[in-house]
This record gives sequence, structure tokens and C-alpha cells, in this order.
Amino acid sequence: MSARAVRPKLPFLWATGRHNRVPSPYPWLMPVILVMGLFYLYPVVDVFRYAFTDLTLLGGEGHYTLSTFGNVLMRPELLQILWVTFVFTAGSVLGQQVIGLAMALVVVRSEKRHLFGTTILRTTALIAWVVPGIAGGIIWKMLFNEAPFGGLNSLLRLLGMAPVQWLSDPDVVMWSVVLSNVWRGTAFSMVVMYAALKAIDPSLYEAAEVDGASARQKLFFVTLPQLRPAILVNMILITIQTLNTFDAIISLTGGGPGRATEVLSLYTFNVVFRNYDLAAGSVLSILMLVISLGLALVYAAFLPKDEKA
Amino acid sequence: MKKSLLAALAAATALGCLPVAAEDLITSDRVGPSDAPKKMVFRMTGDGPSSTDPTWAAGYTKLYTDFINNHPGWQLELQMMTGDISQEQARMLEQARAGHAPDCAAVDSFVLPLFKQAGVLKSLSPYFTKEEIDQLFPFVRDGVTGKDGQVYAWWWSTDLRVLYRNKEIVLNAPETWADAKAAALKSVEAGMEGILFNGSRYEGTGFDWLGNFWGQGGKLVDDAGKPVFADADNRDKFVKAVNYYRDLVESGAAPKRVATIGNYDDFNAAAAAGTTAMFVGGNWQYRQLQNSMEPEEFAKWTFSPLPGITADQRSTGTGGWTVAAFSSEPEKVEMCAALAREVYMGPANALQEQLPTRADLYDKYDIFKSEANQTFAKALKVGQARPGVLIYPEISNQIQIMMGKVLTGAATTDAAVDEAYKATLDAYARL
Repeated sequence: MSARAVRPKLPFLWATGRHNRVPSPYPWLMPVILVMGLFYLYPVVDVFRYAFTDLTLLGGEGHYTLSTFGNVLMRPELLQILWVTFVFTAGSVLGQQVIGLAMALVVVRSEKRHLFGTTILRTTALIAWVVPGIAGGIIWKMLFNEAPFGGLNSLLRLLGMAPVQWLSDPDVVMWSVVLSNVWRGTAFSMVVMYAALKAIDPSLYEAAEVDGASARQKLFFVTLPQLRPAILVNMILITIQTLNTFDAIISLTGGGPGRATEVLSLYTFNVVFRNYDLAAGSVLSILMLVISLGLALVYAAFLPKDEKA
Repeated sequence: MKKSLLAALAAATALGCLPVAAEDLITSDRVGPSDAPKKMVFRMTGDGPSSTDPTWAAGYTKLYTDFINNHPGWQLELQMMTGDISQEQARMLEQARAGHAPDCAAVDSFVLPLFKQAGVLKSLSPYFTKEEIDQLFPFVRDGVTGKDGQVYAWWWSTDLRVLYRNKEIVLNAPETWADAKAAALKSVEAGMEGILFNGSRYEGTGFDWLGNFWGQGGKLVDDAGKPVFADADNRDKFVKAVNYYRDLVESGAAPKRVATIGNYDDFNAAAAAGTTAMFVGGNWQYRQLQNSMEPEEFAKWTFSPLPGITADQRSTGTGGWTVAAFSSEPEKVEMCAALAREVYMGPANALQEQLPTRADLYDKYDIFKSEANQTFAKALKVGQARPGVLIYPEISNQIQIMMGKVLTGAATTDAAVDEAYKATLDAYARL
């Protein structure tokens, strides 16, 4: 019989044993529960409530209705918005994960060899991470500016190359946006991967070396399997973060040209703050929540069982 | 000896404190003494002491100092809006509905109908004379007046769109779309980018372009406020106006990057860098160009009314800013009206050369007698304000989306127009 099974059930405030009094955890947890409920749960409940109304920011009491769900989910532009969101999220997550892992490997290897510049690399990446999204968008807008004096195109001209329509070509603009988001978010992945790499038992590498494994074999048969839980957790976090990203896009492209870069979070923002449709915005928020939770569950299914526990 | 030393020290201390007190009268977020018993919160744009233009900032500092000295016992808490005006105004509307709006605020004229509809504004009628109200241009008076005949905001400045050009490259003012295209192509031959205009997801994209539609007699909404811009009577005019911009890009008269421009400052930058010879901009940019260029460079620049499909079918969009009161305290509403009258209605127009909304002010201030401002005033005669209807923000949003698709060639004009019209009608049905 486990210890948990024999533990007496605690009354709300105080548990009294035969010889001693065991304090109940609930009074200590109440502040956290209250804060969580007030600042996290209440807004979520409100979003669900608004989704079942026809409320707008323009006044009026609003009425409870189910029609908002139908109206929003049947909008013809929603499919394109979801596709744009998928491309943006997949591109950003893959880019951040791969480059973050590569940078972490470089940093760990450099540290082992005491190479100069490791700290500079780490710090540079972290600086990009702490830049606010709006500012990041403005920085990249200047770089992608297609005017004759634009940043990247000026560089390309200097190298004798043709300028690129970074933001005005509907086929290119999404990758420009992904690039700016990867630039900003890679540091987070690098930090997570760096911590996970440091936690790998060195004896595994020693054993691999004894077996005559090459560097490539050590990466694929030791490092990556050991990093699997960290990679999955990191992907859950950056997927949710990317799905919620709109500040960098709004300052870089505003969602355009047309709807070429209008992701779901930006569309939700536009519906609420430009169309003043609070109820429709709430339905879209729930849709984002469902997508985030769904993806998190998919990732979690790949976690080793003991990691999930 | 000791007494005189003490007196000298006291005098020195007092004198030393004077500049400090003077500096403290205006800070980045407050006007007036911090211990003043009465306080009004004013949410503002850059039209104030924190203006990014040093001349305007100094001018507003003086205006605000005079204002607060005329109202002892008051302090103003200043809240600055960001550049994302649509978002700022939407947020303020929500705050007003929740009862948390500032006491007094700058409200963009094109969203004023939303605030009036929401019933969150307080009447300013008691604080302005009938003569002052009668002097307002008709479209301004209609814009600020509610259904009950009360004035709910003071619209103090207006603006309009014009075509700027470098006279050295484009000598004559283009009067028609064909003239504009020919002039732009000529400028491209001279190594320029061609004509620039807003074309991205930005309010200015639709607004700057609408003159081309209005000039043909097109209507965005009917008398009931229902969108009609692509119905049987208007569709042809709308499509022609869209195709005008499309043709500019496809012919090379405008660079494709116009689909990414959503900021008037980009035009100033291009003009200053000497990479463009023509752009569609606002009247306020005339002074900005003057401030940012060497005099001999600025002398090359001039402006003219926007071209039309024919020379006599021309129009331009007019906008502007209002000051409105949200406070439930009459004393603060009166203070808000006083701020509109004493700082903005006239003095601020003259300071920033922002066109007044009252005919008499054009004679009162010498600055509006200049050739440039007289030309702007004449162009106002064919000016048209955005319709004061609830659906306008969605019409604007759909025009922006449509323009992006058309300018980048992602959709045909007909398909993009039909899509925009359907989306607008759907949104109208949901209102």
C-alpha cells in the first residue's frame, strides 16, 4: 500500500491526528487559486460568455445567441486565414527549433573548447529575443524596405544582385515574415536546447566514443534521442507563442498585401478593434485556444510516458 | 550681518527655484502644478507639447502654459496615443463604454460617429456660441452634431490629399489620370521610382484613393448608411478608380512597393532622398517637407489637386481631429471645451498650419493667407469627408484588402471588388 493511500483525508483548514495537528494546504493555496481565478480564469470564462452573444464595442446590451459561431466559422476568408496561420506557424516553429538547436550545439561545443565569441553569440541571440515585437517589426520593415534606399536591397545591389520584393510579392512576403519571427524567437529555443544539452549524461558520449561512433552518429543516436522531451516541450511552447504572435506582423505588413500575412491572431485583433465585433472576436479566440490545445496534445502524445507524468 | 546673509540666502533660494517651478509647469505627462486641486485627464495625439517637431513642441508648450495660467487651480494629466490610431480609438471606445474613458480626448473625425452612436460623449453645445457653431463648414457641423441637435465634439482641424511633385522633373500639374501616368513614366525615365501612394493595410490607403471614386460622383453608402459602392450605379466608377491605380503599377508608372506603403513619412523620406518626383500626400506634409529639406531642394517641390478621370471630375478626401468630452463632471466638460477653444481652435491651426474648420479663421491668421494655404482652402471646396456611418471602418478595411490584391496582381479587379463588396454587405448585415 502506498503512502498516499494511507494518508488521512484533510479537513479544509486543519487536520487533527491522534498526537499531532497537520496543517491543511488549502489556506496556503487560496491566494494562488484566487489570483489564478481572477486574472486567468475569469477572462477565459468571459470570452466563452461573449462568444454566445452578439456583443459589439459600439454599444447596446447584446443578446445571447448561437448564431455568432455559425457566422464566424462560415466566413469565406477564414480558410485562407487558417492556411496563412499554418504556414507562418510551421515555418516559424521549424526554423526556431532547428536554428535554436544548431546554435545551442555550437555554444556547448565552443564552451568545451574554450573558443572566443561564445558569450557574444549567446548575448546577440538573446538581444533579439528581448526586443519587443512591435520594435522587431519596425526594424525588419526598414531592412525589407523596397525603396532604393532599403536596407537589404541596398546590400544586394552592392553585391551586384537583383533586389527582392520582400514585402510586395505575395509569394515572398510570408517567408519574410517567418524570417523576422525566427530571428526574434530563436534565442528561446537556443536557451531550452542549451539547458537540455548540458543535462545529457557525459558517459553516454564516452560509451559512444568507445564504440567508435562518428560525430554524426553521436548526434543522431545519442544527442537527439536524449533531447526528445526537451524538443517536444519547446515545440509546444513556441507553437503556442507563434500562434499568438501578431504584434510583429502588424508593424511589418499589417497583414497585407491583401490578406497574404493575416494570421488568425491578427485577424482576431482586426475583428475586435477594427470591426468592433466583440462576439466574433471571442469565437475566434476560442478557435485559437482549441488549435493550441490540439497541437499541444499531439506533441504531448510523442512525449515519453515518464516525462508526461 | 546675519540677517542680511539669511535674506540673501532666501532670495537666492527663491530665485533658484523659479526656473525649476517654470520647468515643472509642463512635463511629459502633466500640464500645471502637480498639487493643483482640480485635474482633467486629456488623451491626445502628437498635437501637443510632446510633438516630435521641435518647433511645434515649443509652440504647444507656450499655448499650454498660457492655457493653464488662465485656469488656476487646474492641472491636465496628458495621456499620449500611439501611432496606431484605429486601435487607440477602438480601445478608447471600449473604455468609454466601461466608464473608464479619459475626461477629454482627441477623437479622429472618421470614428466620431461610433462614439456618438455609443452615447459616451457629453454635449459641448453650452460652451460654444451659436455664431462659433455656424462658422463651421457644413460637413464639419454635420459631423459633430448628434441627432438631438447637440454638438458632441469640436472638430478643430481638417486636412486634404493633394498630388506633390518635383517641378524640375514634372513641370505641369497633372490634371487627369492619363496626365499623372504620363508624368510618372517620364519621372521613371529620369531615374525615379514613379508616383508613390499608400497601398498597404492602412486607413490612408482607402482614404487617399477615394477621391478618384468620389470625383466621378461615386457613393460609398446610401442615405440609410447601407454600402452601395459596387451596386449597379457605382460599380463601374469604383472599378475604373481601382484600375487607375492598378494600371499605374502594371505600367511601371508606380513601383510595386506601393502595396507595402502605409505611412506618409515614407513619402517625405523618398522626396528627401530624391528617389521620387511625385506622391499622393496630405496637406500637412508641405510644412514637413519644408522642415526636412534644404531651401533650394524644397523650392523644387509644389502640389496640385488630385487628378481626376477628367480634369473637371476631381475630388479629395478630407479628415481631421476633434476634441470631445467623456467626463460626467460638468466642470471637466467645460474645461475640455475651453481647451478646444483656447488651444486648438485657431492657435493650434496657425502653429501647425493645419487647416481650420471655420471660414473666419482663414482671415484671422496671416499664415492661412499664404499662396499654399489659399490653394489648400480652394481644394477643400471639392473635398469630401468619409461617411459618418458605422460601416465605414469595414468599408475601409475591405478597400485596403482589395487594393493589396489588385496592386500585387493576386486577384483581378472585378473579383477583388466583388469580394470586398460582399464582405462589406455581410458586415453591414451583422451590425
